[in-house]
Amino acid sequence: MEGWIRLSEGNPQYIDGAAAWRRVRAVRMIGAVNTPAIRLRGVTKRFDKKMAVRDLDLEIPRGSIYGLIGPNGAGKTTTLRIILDIIGPDAGSVDVFGSPNVEAMRQRIGYLPEERGLYQKMTATDHLAFFGQLKGLKRKEALARARTGLDAVGLGDRADDKVETFSKGMAQKAQFLGVILHQPDLLVLDEPFSGLDPLNVELFKQLLQERQRAGATILLSTHLIEDAERLCERVCMIAGATKVLDGRVRDIKAAAGRRDIALSFEGNPTFLDAPDLIEDISAHGTYVEVRMLEGADPQALLRRAVDSGALISRFELIEPSLRQIFIEKATEAGLSHEDESEDDEAAA
Amino acid sequence: MNPFTPRVAAVIRREFVLRVKSKWFLLSTLGLPVLIVGLGGLAGFLAVRSATDAGEARRVIGVADPAGLIGDLLVEEFLADSLDAVRAADMEELSIDEARTRLSDSSYDLLLMIPRSAGRRSAEMPGETAGANEGEGDDGRTTLLARASVPSVIEGSVRGALQRASVRARLRSIGVQSIDPGALLQRTSFEVINVTESGEARSQDIYRALSFGIAFFFYFVLLIYGQMIVRAILEEKQSDIVEIMVSSLRPWELMLGKIVGVGAVGIAQMAVWALIFALAAVYGLTAGASTLAEAGIDLASIAVPWGALVLMFFFLIFGYLLYAGMFAGAGATISNEHDAQQVMLPITMLIILPFIATQGVIQSPNAGWGVILSLVPFFSPLVMPARLFATSVPVWQWLASLVLLGVFVLGAAWVAGRIFRVGILMKGQRANLPQVLRWIRHG
Repeated sequence: MEGWIRLSEGNPQYIDGAAAWRRVRAVRMIGAVNTPAIRLRGVTKRFDKKMAVRDLDLEIPRGSIYGLIGPNGAGKTTTLRIILDIIGPDAGSVDVFGSPNVEAMRQRIGYLPEERGLYQKMTATDHLAFFGQLKGLKRKEALARARTGLDAVGLGDRADDKVETFSKGMAQKAQFLGVILHQPDLLVLDEPFSGLDPLNVELFKQLLQERQRAGATILLSTHLIEDAERLCERVCMIAGATKVLDGRVRDIKAAAGRRDIALSFEGNPTFLDAPDLIEDISAHGTYVEVRMLEGADPQALLRRAVDSGALISRFELIEPSLRQIFIEKATEAGLSHEDESEDDEAAA
Repeated sequence: MNPFTPRVAAVIRREFVLRVKSKWFLLSTLGLPVLIVGLGGLAGFLAVRSATDAGEARRVIGVADPAGLIGDLLVEEFLADSLDAVRAADMEELSIDEARTRLSDSSYDLLLMIPRSAGRRSAEMPGETAGANEGEGDDGRTTLLARASVPSVIEGSVRGALQRASVRARLRSIGVQSIDPGALLQRTSFEVINVTESGEARSQDIYRALSFGIAFFFYFVLLIYGQMIVRAILEEKQSDIVEIMVSSLRPWELMLGKIVGVGAVGIAQMAVWALIFALAAVYGLTAGASTLAEAGIDLASIAVPWGALVLMFFFLIFGYLLYAGMFAGAGATISNEHDAQQVMLPITMLIILPFIATQGVIQSPNAGWGVILSLVPFFSPLVMPARLFATSVPVWQWLASLVLLGVFVLGAAWVAGRIFRVGILMKGQRANLPQVLRWIRHG
C-alpha cells in the first residue's frame, strides 16, 4: 500500500498509502468529490457585546486558493477558528470535506495561526516531528519528513539546533514547515505573510502553490488586499463581521465594471469638463485618471477628446483594484472598512 | 474510549523527554539524596567532633560543697567517669556572684556549687530540685559555673554524677553501703507495639516517623509538581503556540498530556530516589546491623507494610491528579509569571492545611476528627497514608476514602477541562472569578 509515487512534476514524494486509502474511502462515503472543501451556512458568533461574525455563508471549492479579506477586526480570525472547530459558532453549521465532524478531519488540515510560536527549548527536527505526530504521523516518519523539509528550505545544517537559537526568518520557515509536514489537503493560514521577510514571502508562496498543485485547498486571510489579489482565485470580503461579497476575483472585477480611465494627452483639457460623463478626476499634469459616471460610455469621452483636437497618447480602461471594489462595496453597505482598533481575540 | 490517543501520547512524550533531559531534573534528582546524605554526614561529623573536643581538652571540675553533703562522693563519681575533679575548698565560702568573678583566675574550668541550704530540706539531695546550670543564688539550687560553654557530653556527665552521688548519699544515710548506684539507676526502655486485628505487630515509633516522612514527601511532591503544571501551561501561552496545539487536539487532550507527562517525570524521579535509597539502605543495614542491634533495634521485628505502601502509591497518584487538575485550570486563566503566584496560592493552601492536620493525626491516628479528615478529599491524599502507617485502618475507611477521592479527581478534571477550554486561548489580563465561573457553566 505504501510507496514512492512520481507526481506530474517535481521530486518524487513519499505517499502514505494507508492514509491515501482512508481518504479515498472517506470520499466514497461522502459520495462526491465535488463537495466543497469548506461550507459555512448561517454562521454567527458573538463575544459578549461584540458581534464577530454575522450570518456568514461561505463555500470554498476544492483545490482553490481562497482569500478571506477585510480589515483587522472584521471577523476573519474568528471565522477561521470556527472552521477549525477551535471555537464553536452560536448558530449555523460548518462542513469540512462534506463532513460536519471537523474533529475527524483535523489530520487533513494544516493551520498557521497569526500567533505562531515554537517551543524554544526543542530542536527544530524534534519540534517538527512533534507537530507531525499531532497530525497522526508515526514518529519515525515524522522525523524523516522533518529532516527532508528542513533540508529543502535550507535549514539542514541547523536541524539539531534548538529553536531559541534561530533568527526570525529561520523560525518562520520552521513554523511554515510545521503546517505542511503532514501534507494536508486543506491549509488554513491566518495572515500568512504578515511580518515575513521578503525572501520568505516568495518561499511561502512557492510552497503554497506546490501544495495546491498536489491538490490541496488553501484558505488564507489577509488584511493586505493586494496580496490576495495576486495570489487568490477567489476571495470573500468581510467588513464589520458581515460578508460584503465573494466569488472569483475575475468575476468580481468584471462585475464591478471598468469605470476608471488612464489618460495621457497634449492640448486643451476642456473636454474633461463633462459632468454628464465624468464623476471624478485626479489630474497629474498631462496624465489624468478619470472615473466615469455609472453607465456612461467611455467611447463618448474618447470621441470628445479627439474632437477637441487634443493629442491622445494613452487611453486605457483600468481594471479596478480589489481594494477599490472592497471600499466601495463596504461603504455602500454602510459597513466599516477601516481598521478597527479592537482585535478579534477570543473573549468569551 | 481510550483517552490516550497517539496525539496525547505525543504530548506526554514531549513533556517527559524535555523535562527529564533538563538540568533541573538532573540537579533535583541527584541533589536531594546528596543533600540528605550530606546533612546526615555533617550532623554525624559535628557530633563526633564535639565529643573528641571534649575528650581532648581535659577540664578540671571543682566541687564546692561547704556543707560536705556529697562532695567526696561526687569527686569519686567524676573520677570513675574519667573526668578530672577535685574538692574546691578555696571556693566553698563564696557566694555564686563572688565565685563567678573569681572563676577565671582559679584552676577550675568548671565549678559545681552545692548550696549549704540544700541539705536542710528533708529527704532532698543536692541537684534534685533543679538541674545543673539553672538559676542563681542560694535558694537550694545546685549551680554549675563554666568558663567556656559546656559541651552537652560534659553536662550529661555532671548530671549523671550528681544523680549517682545523691543516691549513694541517701543510701548511706539509711545505712546501705554496698549497693552500686549504677545498678539502681539502670536505664529502662520499652517499645510500644500496636497489635492489629490480624495480629500483626507494629512498633509505633518507627511507623510514626515513617508516616511523618510520607506526609512530608507527599506535601513536597504535590507542591513542586503542581507548580510545574502551571509552568507547563504558561509555556504554551508564552510561546504563542497554543492555537496551533488546539487546532490539532482537543484542549482536554492537551491538558491530559501535560498532567500525565509532568506526572511521569515525577514517577521517574521517585524511581531514581527509591533506587538510591534502597541501595543506601541495603548497604547501611548490612554495615550498621551491629550498631542497630546495640541500640536495641531488631531489624527482623520490623515488618514491611507492603499493603500500606501499595495503597500509599494510589493515594499519591490520585492526590496528584486532583491537585494537578486544579493547577491546570488555574494555569489556564493566566498569562504571566506574576499572576501565577496569585492563582497558585489558594491551591497551595489546600495542600498546606492537610499537611498541618497530618501532624496531629499521626499523634492520635484513630481520633474521630482524624478519621473524618482521612475521608475528606483534599485532606485524604496526605492524611490517609499517614494513618495507614501509624495505625491499622479498617478496609471500609481507606476504600471509601479512595472512592471519594476518585470522584473528586473526575470532578476537578471536568471543571478544569471547562476552564482550560476557554482559558487556554486567552491572553493578557488574568481572568476574574465571575468570568471563570461563566466558563464552567457555559464552557
